[in-house]
Amino acid sequence: MYLKFPALLTLIFLFASLCSYGQDQELDSLLKISAFTQESDLQKILNQNVTVSSKKALTTRETPGIISLITAEEIENSGARDLVDVLRLVPGFDVAQDVQFVQGMGFRGNWANEGKVLVMVDGQPYNDLLYQTTAIGNRFAVNMIQRIEIIRGPGSAVYGGSAEYGVINIITKAADSLNGVLVSGTVGAHSDALGRANAGIAIAQKGNVNWDATFYKGKGNMSNNGNYQDLYQSAEAQNLSKTTNADPLNLNIGISHKGLSIRTIYDEYKTGDPFLFVTYKNLFTNIRYDAKLSNKLTITPEFRYTNQIPWTWGDRSTGEYIFKVRAERMYGSITSSYDITRKINLIAGAVYFTDHGTDLLNTKRYDGTDNIALKNYAVFAQGLLKHRLANVTAGFRYEKNNRYGDAFVPRLALTKKIENLHFKILFSQAFRAPSIENINIAQGGSIKPEKSNVFEAELGYQFTPESVISVNAFSLSTNNVIIYQSETISTTETTEYYKNFDRSGTHGLEAQYSLRKKKWYVNASYSFARANSNNTVDTYTIPQTSKQFVGFPTNKITLNSSFQLTNKLHFSPSAIYASKRYAYNALDSNGDAIANELDPYLLANGFFNYKNLVDGLTLGAGVYDIFNQRPAIPQAYNGGYAPIPGRSREFVFKLTYQLNFKKS
Amino acid sequence: MKFLKLTLALMLAITCTLKAQTTNFQAYSVFVFSIAKYSNWPSKEGEFKIVVVGKSKVYDELSKVSTQKDINGMKMVVTQTDEISQIGDANIVYVSDGKSNVLEDALKITQGKPIMIITEREGLFKKGAGFSFLVLDNSTLRFDINNTELEKRQIKISKSLSTLANSVI
Repeated sequence: MYLKFPALLTLIFLFASLCSYGQDQELDSLLKISAFTQESDLQKILNQNVTVSSKKALTTRETPGIISLITAEEIENSGARDLVDVLRLVPGFDVAQDVQFVQGMGFRGNWANEGKVLVMVDGQPYNDLLYQTTAIGNRFAVNMIQRIEIIRGPGSAVYGGSAEYGVINIITKAADSLNGVLVSGTVGAHSDALGRANAGIAIAQKGNVNWDATFYKGKGNMSNNGNYQDLYQSAEAQNLSKTTNADPLNLNIGISHKGLSIRTIYDEYKTGDPFLFVTYKNLFTNIRYDAKLSNKLTITPEFRYTNQIPWTWGDRSTGEYIFKVRAERMYGSITSSYDITRKINLIAGAVYFTDHGTDLLNTKRYDGTDNIALKNYAVFAQGLLKHRLANVTAGFRYEKNNRYGDAFVPRLALTKKIENLHFKILFSQAFRAPSIENINIAQGGSIKPEKSNVFEAELGYQFTPESVISVNAFSLSTNNVIIYQSETISTTETTEYYKNFDRSGTHGLEAQYSLRKKKWYVNASYSFARANSNNTVDTYTIPQTSKQFVGFPTNKITLNSSFQLTNKLHFSPSAIYASKRYAYNALDSNGDAIANELDPYLLANGFFNYKNLVDGLTLGAGVYDIFNQRPAIPQAYNGGYAPIPGRSREFVFKLTYQLNFKKS
Repeated sequence: MKFLKLTLALMLAITCTLKAQTTNFQAYSVFVFSIAKYSNWPSKEGEFKIVVVGKSKVYDELSKVSTQKDINGMKMVVTQTDEISQIGDANIVYVSDGKSNVLEDALKITQGKPIMIITEREGLFKKGAGFSFLVLDNSTLRFDINNTELEKRQIKISKSLSTLANSVI
């Protein structure tokens, strides 16, 4: 039996005291005895309760979803430059280009940018209201993140129509555990250009009233390639370090007292290709109150207001706007959580929200007006039964919209941890709700919600307290796929629209192995995804093979490790291998785009951290893409954009200083 | 999919060969010892017999304790059996999780006798066990008590012990 020395001492003391004195206070100390052997460092992570997949806290090994949990320590050790670096190490995730050099996520071999992965920061949904995308690429302040909870699977039954394939829940340090001041900066330099320069400050105080504020600002580019040629070679080659940008700005303020919490976030992101600028401006505000009416019943009303001017774009050379729309959401919900017994929990709620779009350029893009309004309501419920044989989670969400109709998605999950073994069997339906622009430019004036059937099964085994392996298989089948299309009408005019395609999806498996010792750890993963043979979405396909979609590899292997070399010095090597991909990167004699194979790549990285140089000060330095492989970022569909050339080897320097307030 | 099948098969094979490592059976034995110490049986003479029904690491842990400790002056004797008919005149019958289905028979055999039945599986106190263990959400070990059944068996538990219970019926 594995039992650490302190726990053994405690039990010996208990025996001794029970035998020798027989006093009530010694008997009381039984209340503190754990039913399980002392947690190793790995088990502390595995046993963390997460709510992202069910709203009801369960450990990562029992929660009804395939979960990745990334800690602040892992982010700091790895030297991650931004969220892209973090996500690349997560099974199934990848990055690809949409249009205008805007980067988005791919997941399990699918393009997942529009409405398929919900990104939340401190509870605020970040996806834009026009297309439901979340732009990434030197945007999120990873040095300020406490942890990232990721559902590698559908989340619609809980989160609605933006979480068809996955959910990324980012919790910042200030909002979570910081009680003091945190200052952080990152500089990334290529041999020929500055890659990025980002800095932030956070201050937070925990007490009767908790408050926090984080400010973050940065400047970067999408690549340092000096000879970028667009697909149609309609302009001169460009130096991307000078003609592109990836500039984040973020202010995040929160306050809470007992069950009441208020948070507001202003987020700005400037990016674009060499010819078109793209900007995002977002204001998120929410107020929620957890009213604990009894030990068993909690009612949570929540109100959110979102005001965005997302994916605004225009001509870099003139500064003239071509597209500028304000999108607003007023959102109200009420959620009740009732513990019927210690083993049975019921969560139910109702949501109502309105989306408004306003064309700020007055081009009358919405049926001859400058305004569009959508009204939605949703009801959802979930039951959790903790049985000795398995935890059973069953739930559904029903959502109705005044323009696209309704969607009903059920879910059923069986999970259980039996000593060292755990299993999960999950079935979920999930949907992508058509957003403002999906509806506005729908072909024929109508569009249906996209819907997915997802089967997942995970088996995990903890060989020792320091090591665990888990393997999951998935089958993801999407119907009524909402796809963006554009057609050239004349040399000066194109038409764009959204339409439903019949089917798409992938199937595959993911495996993770973690070994965590006191002074070092290794996390390794393998991801395999194959396109479903019945895919009908032409724009995802490539002529070379029907087994993978454009832009994404079939196989991905990651390694993320860290070694404590001395009391203060840590070295953290990491690597990402991706098998061959395909990209539409050339033209045939008719001027049509043709797909070519991109070589496999190995992104090898190494990062040193010197921790507590003085108390609270950590200095880091390392190299990204040691072998200078420069993996390109292809467009995730045949949409007329050449791949963004990969950035070259980048030397990264970080500084973090945390000063903790004295506990009152 | 071949890879998946191979991996799952390998993991299942390993599962069958490795021992469980996470349940803290030493904690269970501490609780059993405490329950014995803070309860009163009609007879306080002879040996204090604990029979573990089914395979449980609690047997190993209690056996270790029995070599060093006694129960209120009575020598502890710990035995293990798979047959419910062999529980004899035990003071405590500890029913392991895997043998929970024999509880009904155990209750019949011991009816009216001063024999305390403790079950490893949660909730069986409602079916007649004197004590049944449970694990709370914060992973701490606790027990439920069926005092009505214990009184029928002329076993008295101390007030301080019953205050530790998650619930008492």
